[in-house]
Amino acid sequence: MFKFNNINLDIWTETYGIGFYLSYLSRWPDLCCVQEAPNGRMMGYVIGKAEGSNTEWHGHVTAITVAPEYRRLSLARKMMTLLEMVSDETYKGFFVDLYVRCANTVAINMYEGLGYSVYRRVREYYGNLGIGKGGRDEEDAFDMRKPLSRDPHQRSIRMNGRDMLVRAQDVS
Amino acid sequence: MSTALDRQIRPIYDALDTGSNKSAIVACNKLLKKHPKNELIKALKALALVRSQKVEESLILCDEVLDLKPTNDAVLTAMMHVLRGLGRHKDMVTMFEEAYKQQPSNEELGAQTFFANVRAAQWKSAQQIATRMHKQFQEDRYLYWSVMSAVLQANDVSTPIAMRMLLYKLAHRLLTSSPTPSYLNADRFHLHIFILRELELFDEARKLLDSDVGKTICATNLSCDELRRDIWQRCGMIKEEGERAQMRIVEDQNRNWLEFLSVLNATFCYLDPSQNDSSSTLSEGAKVHCAEHITRTQELFTRLALEDGSKDRSSMLGLLELEGRARKYGLSTSPARLVTLMEHYFEEIGDKACCFEDLKPYLDLEGNECLKWTSFLEATPASFNSPNELRRLINSHKLLRHGLSQSELTVEAESARALLYTKYFMDGLQLGVALPSSELQPADDFALLAGNAWVSLWNSTSDESYLHKAVALLEFALTRSPQSFQARMILIRIYRLLGAPSMALEHYRIMQIKQIQHDTLSHLILSRASTFSLAATGDLTLATECLESTQIYLSNSQETGDFIVRAFTSEKYSQIPEFIEFEDRLDNSLQRDIVKMEHLRMRLAHEPITSDIIDMELIELKFIFDRSHHDNRDFDIITNYQPQGSSSINDQTHLFGKAEGRGWLGAFLKLYIRAFQHGSDLDDTVEEKLLIGDRPKQSADLEKKPLRERLLQRQDEEIAELTADEVPLVDYATALANWLEPYHDYTRPPPSVVLAEAARQTELKTGHPLKGVDLQSLNGIANGNGRKDEDPPVVTEPPELVLKYFEQLKSRLLELRNNPSPVRALHLATLAQEALLLFTVETLRFRSSSVVKINKLGGLVTSFKSIRADAIVVLQEMSTELIKMADVSSTMDSRNMFTDSCNSLTTLGIDQDFLVGVAKKVTEARKKVLEGVGKGLTRVTSL
Ligand SMILES: CC(C)(COP(=O)(O)OP(=O)(O)OC[C@H]1O[C@@H](n2cnc3c(N)ncnc32)[C@H](O)[C@@H]1OP(=O)(O)O)[C@@H](O)C(=O)NCCC(=O)NCCS
Repeated sequence: MFKFNNINLDIWTETYGIGFYLSYLSRWPDLCCVQEAPNGRMMGYVIGKAEGSNTEWHGHVTAITVAPEYRRLSLARKMMTLLEMVSDETYKGFFVDLYVRCANTVAINMYEGLGYSVYRRVREYYGNLGIGKGGRDEEDAFDMRKPLSRDPHQRSIRMNGRDMLVRAQDVS
Repeated sequence: MSTALDRQIRPIYDALDTGSNKSAIVACNKLLKKHPKNELIKALKALALVRSQKVEESLILCDEVLDLKPTNDAVLTAMMHVLRGLGRHKDMVTMFEEAYKQQPSNEELGAQTFFANVRAAQWKSAQQIATRMHKQFQEDRYLYWSVMSAVLQANDVSTPIAMRMLLYKLAHRLLTSSPTPSYLNADRFHLHIFILRELELFDEARKLLDSDVGKTICATNLSCDELRRDIWQRCGMIKEEGERAQMRIVEDQNRNWLEFLSVLNATFCYLDPSQNDSSSTLSEGAKVHCAEHITRTQELFTRLALEDGSKDRSSMLGLLELEGRARKYGLSTSPARLVTLMEHYFEEIGDKACCFEDLKPYLDLEGNECLKWTSFLEATPASFNSPNELRRLINSHKLLRHGLSQSELTVEAESARALLYTKYFMDGLQLGVALPSSELQPADDFALLAGNAWVSLWNSTSDESYLHKAVALLEFALTRSPQSFQARMILIRIYRLLGAPSMALEHYRIMQIKQIQHDTLSHLILSRASTFSLAATGDLTLATECLESTQIYLSNSQETGDFIVRAFTSEKYSQIPEFIEFEDRLDNSLQRDIVKMEHLRMRLAHEPITSDIIDMELIELKFIFDRSHHDNRDFDIITNYQPQGSSSINDQTHLFGKAEGRGWLGAFLKLYIRAFQHGSDLDDTVEEKLLIGDRPKQSADLEKKPLRERLLQRQDEEIAELTADEVPLVDYATALANWLEPYHDYTRPPPSVVLAEAARQTELKTGHPLKGVDLQSLNGIANGNGRKDEDPPVVTEPPELVLKYFEQLKSRLLELRNNPSPVRALHLATLAQEALLLFTVETLRFRSSSVVKINKLGGLVTSFKSIRADAIVVLQEMSTELIKMADVSSTMDSRNMFTDSCNSLTTLGIDQDFLVGVAKKVTEARKKVLEGVGKGLTRVTSL
């Protein structure tokens, strides 16, 4: 946390209170990972958790981010792979999911490229960003999912997720 | 408890939950009338009182409840919060211990007692309780709690080195007694291996790691794998580790840089003296082996690099590192290879932003190599057809700039470069016109390069117009790329250098610094911030900024302990030492106390100086003085593009050219502690009695010298971090303190009198006597007033340093009159103000005419009067001078001067109106601070 400024001074990356990071680390340390450059600088990190009951048991990507100077090096791709692997093998989850602002097209395209698809759209999931007039896209989030080996029939995803609207109160 | 009472108590909880402490207190009082003995209501009232800052009253109730040795769960929980609020972790331990003793079969109480010890960092008793719990409840995890506690005790600063191994042995013994193997759980396994490593029981560790379960755990758990790597290395299995890493790279397509490092370390292990029998001279044989291995590794990496192409840079970086190390040992087989590899790297990765940072370690080239590399880079075409081309061009210029020698840094050459960077920046903007404002512009780095060049020009010529250019361009860049925090940080630094602090603050606020970033980044705006503080005029902007930045330390002390406890509950042992280190680094943060010092300096200019303030600050400063600080400030965040032989942009843009650190803090702490000691009636014995809460832990190493001695020492490190104007302030304060110390020591009332007075005050306020102070026995002494038998010290003349100080300040200010930037003048003025305030602190005691009369110190007071009068005259003159400067700082002329500096930018396409706008803002910001500080000086003289 003392060294993540080059990553966190970013508009899509939230800086949370101490409790946020420590609570993830105190429960799912193996779903949290930091990548360092050979010179010791932090390049990016991913924070995740495992949650849900029965067939909803899954890995969740809470935050993933890469410092501007280390983007487009497949770092995000690798961190997602690691998190999927641990969710699959250690936690035996059915799928991995994540929330992303509907306005964050770079990230959404990337997730789609990595095999994720939109499961539903969550209204007013985020607080206001205060940049320009992006309207609803700024506060709404897509819930995106990718099935793991325990879900061979891909029951955890669906085709028309972008049109499934739910309210923020209704999701965990 | 009756359900009726239960129902009546519920609203109290609700009130507490919603922060309505007042109504909670009212409700408690009402219920207490009916149930005057109820522990829970008392505990809840105590909680409501702490939360409304009524510490004294809360203390009384708190002690009452503690005396009853509660065992009820609700009471204990409420009390836990009360004691935490009062910082009395040790008492919390006692409370739970007492309860557990009364109900030894209550498992929950056992756990709470354990956690209380964890929160108080009392590892030894934590370990004993966990052991006891394990015996009684037969749960494996209690055994691991006890093991972990032993490890933590071993690591604790207060544990003597000699004890550490014994504790690890204890931990090991406990572990081996476990009925279940540690590998059932990755974190237990981690703890086990960790202990074996500390005890250097490598064979045992390897047996565990080599087992099938061990391998499986390491494959999915990065922290276990890290331990494994370290153990292999320590027991000399560098070659084996290299082979294992090679397999993971080749077969699993793993591209973790740590694996590449393992291969590299194995390649050069023959040359490691610890791996060699003959320690000093390297045998020829070793060199031959190493050379062979280098060839093999080179073949491997070359093949992988070919396969990966630009998809992954690890193999290419591996080749570079391999060649770099081979050169260091004189084992490179081809002098041209390094540059060839660098060129290749640039060709493959040159269009990625990381290329420059990646190549940095290898840029120390000489002679022909340097020429070859430079001409290679210079051949990069200046074309702007795609973001990739632009990034390549940017990288070539970063790399070229890095390699510039001192002789290439003439004013002409640097100016030309700055303009070239600016031109490229403007040209490159076209590639980002379609980007949303949330994205960074690909051309940004050219603006940063230009900023660096202009700062370096200012640094070598002191010509402010270069800073104007930098400001204009970076402000312009931000209109196109509002998210560029790099541009903002340079601007913040430059605005402070220019004496336009409100502009700096504006940019700082836009960066939305929050949470932990307050610790690492608030230095940007708060370093020596009292120079710009208008607190004397009642404007508390910067003082508030100080307070806000310290919130993070409160939440650290309130929250982090909870997570340490939680990590125990969820058995994530691998995280616990890191959490503890984190807590410690924040708790003892250097920035925290630097900001504390700045805030104090602002506070004294704003609030009337009273003995209450002096007492409170004294206690806090003494705590701080005993801390060993961690420097968590992030200075690397400002990316440096200055040539390798020059100082970094961070160093070049420190206010007054001096970065403050432990030395600066030490000097100011000593200065203020001494002044406050003189102004205060509290000596150590009194403080001990009046202090609420625990004292900070002391480290076991080196017995410290007494405080007094340490306060009088002055270290080189301290002087080195002070500015040319701060040194005289420290000298003045020291001389003043030395002069007045004997009179303070003689006239200060004896501890018994002070305590009696404190007790009387508490009783007046709360209706209860002060705990631990026996008034009866004190009364006798107090009345018999403890006057000393010796005569008062003879009144002496004030020291020269004190007499001359203010005069000298005035002449310094006149010297600075024609400086373009007002910062030096502001520095002098605020220091003068501080000197006067210190004088007030040092002479407060003698404002009482009876003290002066009884002790025959009339002569002293006469000196005070004349020193003070002289000081006031000087401060008023300074004030007039600053206000004069303010008047000329924001005129048409000054604005034109700014825009004239930026003429060259208009030709490159930056709008004249935009420049005028920036000029206006800068000059107005200057005017505001000069005027404010000027007026503040007058106000301080009238206090
Ligand atoms: C989104 C983000 C994490 C991507 O990180 P990254 O390490 O650059 O991504 P990768 O290099 O692994 O990219 C994987 C793929 O995603 C796509 N992609 C990523 N960034 C892209 C961009 N700016 N434009 C187009 N495609 C992009 C590409 O298809 C890429 O594969 P390729 O490089 O082989 O073509 C990074 O941009 C970031 O940190 N953004 C800010 C924080 C954020 O938005 N987090 C997501 C919140 S839920």
